[in-house]
Amino acid sequence: MNEILVIDYNKCVGCKTCEMICSLVHEGVCAQNLSRIRIAKNERAGWNVPISCAMCEKPMCVSVCPVAAMIRNRETGLVTVDEQRCIGCRQCVQACPFGHANFNPLKGLAFKCDQCDGDPQCAKFCWTGAITFEPIELSLIQRRQDTAEKITGK
Amino acid sequence: MKGEKNMSKSKGYAGQILEVNLSNQDSRYKELATEFCRDYLGGIGFNARIICDEMPAGIEALSPENILVFGVGTMVGSTFPTASRTEVSAKSPLTGLFGTSNSGMFFGTQLKNAGFDALVIKGKAEKPVYLFIEDGEISVCDATRLWGKDSWDTLDILKKQYPGAEVALIGPAGENLVRFACIENGYYDAWARTGLGAVMGSKNLKAIVVRGTQGITPHNVEELIKVSWKARKLIETSPFFKPFQSYGSMNAAMPYGSFKALNANNFSQGCLSDWKENFARPKVEELTHGHIACQSCIIACAHWVEIKEGKYQGLRMKDMEVTPTVSFGSGCGMSLEATVKAAEMGQRYGMDMVSVAGVMAMAIELFDRGIINQEDVGYDLAFGDDDAIFRLMDDIAHRQGLGAVLAEGTMRAAEQFAGGEASAMHVKGLEMPMIDPRGRWSTWTLGILTNIRGGDHLRCRNPIENLRFNENKYDFQKERFGYDQKMYDALDMPDELKAQAIDLETDTVDIAIMSRWAEDLINLFNSVGVCIRPPVEHRIGPTILAEAYTAFTGIKISPIELMQSAERAWNLIKLFNLREGEQPEDSKFPHRFYEQTVGGKMLDEAKVQEVLQQYYQARGWDMLTGKPGEEKLQELGLCNLT
Repeated sequence: MNEILVIDYNKCVGCKTCEMICSLVHEGVCAQNLSRIRIAKNERAGWNVPISCAMCEKPMCVSVCPVAAMIRNRETGLVTVDEQRCIGCRQCVQACPFGHANFNPLKGLAFKCDQCDGDPQCAKFCWTGAITFEPIELSLIQRRQDTAEKITGK
Repeated sequence: MKGEKNMSKSKGYAGQILEVNLSNQDSRYKELATEFCRDYLGGIGFNARIICDEMPAGIEALSPENILVFGVGTMVGSTFPTASRTEVSAKSPLTGLFGTSNSGMFFGTQLKNAGFDALVIKGKAEKPVYLFIEDGEISVCDATRLWGKDSWDTLDILKKQYPGAEVALIGPAGENLVRFACIENGYYDAWARTGLGAVMGSKNLKAIVVRGTQGITPHNVEELIKVSWKARKLIETSPFFKPFQSYGSMNAAMPYGSFKALNANNFSQGCLSDWKENFARPKVEELTHGHIACQSCIIACAHWVEIKEGKYQGLRMKDMEVTPTVSFGSGCGMSLEATVKAAEMGQRYGMDMVSVAGVMAMAIELFDRGIINQEDVGYDLAFGDDDAIFRLMDDIAHRQGLGAVLAEGTMRAAEQFAGGEASAMHVKGLEMPMIDPRGRWSTWTLGILTNIRGGDHLRCRNPIENLRFNENKYDFQKERFGYDQKMYDALDMPDELKAQAIDLETDTVDIAIMSRWAEDLINLFNSVGVCIRPPVEHRIGPTILAEAYTAFTGIKISPIELMQSAERAWNLIKLFNLREGEQPEDSKFPHRFYEQTVGGKMLDEAKVQEVLQQYYQARGWDMLTGKPGEEKLQELGLCNLT
């Protein structure tokens, strides 16, 4: 089972620590707009939803890339940007249905989540359990358990 | 207006201060000097230096000469836990002294990412305007369509127009120059105390919209990550951590209730008879769920409230923090559900909840005493009468009828009524917060007297306050320590000072010495932008902050120098207050505390005065006048203000 970033948006409190640590480890700068994970929030209504790469089986970003810079590893399912090939055309940014794939104006290159080579720092720094790194099958077992507990009240 | 975009090489800091003069719409960019950073750090430190340097003496607070400064804390915009806070300061229209207030959420992060460590606002716009600041550029925009709208409606418009932006703004109370109007920080937070919203209103400034994408470059990425993780582990291991995470700022409300140390019906009772039943923890927990965090916070002490039935059904907001809940609930005798409605009104109108609840509680008491009557008010007033209280709030925000008098604040309003002063619960013009020093005398309550912004409890708190004990046997000099050696050892405080402040033999804390330390510590937090909540104040001290500061900014500083910078700002503000006319005799509680008992206890004026003198001595100030001494000023590199 491949591990992926699993988001439980009910647990997110919107502290944006994930954004800070992500941009810090990838770009050496604290900049939310350079983070690979972003929190969509509505302060008035009170919700916070972390948006990260879903590592789609049929990634739109890969389909639209004209120079094959967006690559999906068939074995691991990981989708990454080959910065040598990327021409900065932003097609992936426009194609991503989640608003995840992004563009770094300083480098002129696309960027997206690379799961920190198997040790995602957002998940490590997330103290709420909203972001975890695990096989989705396992997280679903837990989620069903939690729901069942609520239903039975035991 | 366009300024030069700063491609500064500063580390940790954005590297520049933005100054805008609304009278001529001119803006200036000032680069930060390293010495200025080291001496004043950021946040309240920057604000204090800028205001003392640039504001002429004796100006009218609601005139164009007043200077409003937004100082972002140094660590804001980093991974350091709870680094989110921005201090806003100006001359206070309520106290005539240094007005200042601190708030978190995400405004500071955006302002720094837009390229600025501080925003200085001078002058007065001809007509209503708002500022839009984005990535080094500032525009002054017409706010005619927003003027008159409440803060939530205004936010709905601006948040839609500027997605992803953070907004500081005023509601109708600020526009109408209510002297305790606040500056709202988004929907649910505020720079509330000392009437800074009225200063914004006097400048015809409705809102400040900020959006930034520049990012902050740390000096040492690895060190910053390491120290952030270490700080997090420290905070998580504080015994105050879990209670605060699950119950938020309401934590202190229950013990203070049982000590009879709460503001109840305008400080007449110590605790309402039905307080336990109506404000009990299970009831609060029933109405709250989820957590809401400020930038980089690992506590998320705030909660979401939903009222599902009854008169206030349908209210959904972030609330039930101790300030509105106790100020309205206990201070004005309202039900728990009604306090949520009151908090909504306070936020929409943009008023400091402590002050508005305080001035209304005074009015109700004057009504009870027969000093004002139905003819003066237009309706009857009574503690616990929700509808009358909401009507009065509305009158105050719009300066209608008696509301116009009360909008001047407790101190000024009391002067309008014969015998009014006896009901006016304020220190130096600032309405007293929700704790009653008669019920519990401690470092925290002495801090209300010594606070450089007047009657308020948020600038001094013993980092190891022990709520299990409340004893009255120390002649106002001490409070119980009540912890073990481990707790003593873990406290980050210079050994010699710690030994003076905490006596393990007698198991006591020296209030005067601890007050001075706690004030400087909190001033340090308000300079570097971390939160003052107990789990943080308990575990985060100058040692780890010095590490964090240096990792982030590259500026080498020792823990002692860091504390000294915080002390410097505190002394500077005291000098400002003295310049603006503060007198030694202003440092006193309302008469009631020396004359009437709650729970069988009251303050002994002579003994309180004695502790105050010990505090002055601990500060290196003149024991009688409370003026910073020459030696202290020299040590801090300060001169008297002229």
